[in-house]
Amino acid sequence: MRVKVLAFAGFREILGRDREVELPGDASIGELLETLASGSPRFREAAFEPSGILRDYVLLMVNRKRIDAEKDLSRILADGDELAIFPPLAGG
Amino acid sequence: MIEIADGEISLEQMVERARSSQAGAVVSFLGTVRDDGIEGMEVEAFRDAALSELEAIRQEAMSRFSLIAAEVAHRTGRLEVGEAIVAIVCSAAHREEAFSGCRYILEELKSRAPLWKKEISGEGGRWVEGK
Repeated sequence: MRVKVLAFAGFREILGRDREVELPGDASIGELLETLASGSPRFREAAFEPSGILRDYVLLMVNRKRIDAEKDLSRILADGDELAIFPPLAGG
Repeated sequence: MIEIADGEISLEQMVERARSSQAGAVVSFLGTVRDDGIEGMEVEAFRDAALSELEAIRQEAMSRFSLIAAEVAHRTGRLEVGEAIVAIVCSAAHREEAFSGCRYILEELKSRAPLWKKEISGEGGRWVEGK
């Protein structure tokens, strides 16, 4: 399946604004993040603690809905899903 | 009206749209780029998600504070010191509601709308840490 990845602010500077990623049919959000980290040591360093846990300033949306990065990393993605990755919000 | 755009914000037009014969108060807020030893700022948005979040916030403010109109505009792209980043205009029958609505929209925007700022200085850029 193919999923779309959007990245913003510091994560955009590492990953680019958007890209499509090919994944096995039953891949989870966590596996997508691992795929991105495998292709980019900079992204791994920015997004993950040395222990492998996602850093707490990594915010995620799937199909424009915020998800809890602690609880929902095992959620299975569907073909055509859109994952957005960004740091804490700083508008206004 | 909700707007996220690269172009300059026209507070006058926003105020004009918010005025009505039912309104006894029109409150406006302008957030501007402060000179903290920086040359300017770059603002980035997850535009579609930010537009729908701002519309939700606007609707909440309209009903909570009985607003007559609420306008929100947020800049994106490169901004110089002194330029407006965000503008909010609320009209209501009385000033308390208009002030409260304006404040509510601003605080919710800061915590809920997917927008980011990068301070640009001679040494490069630094993303403003969000909350």
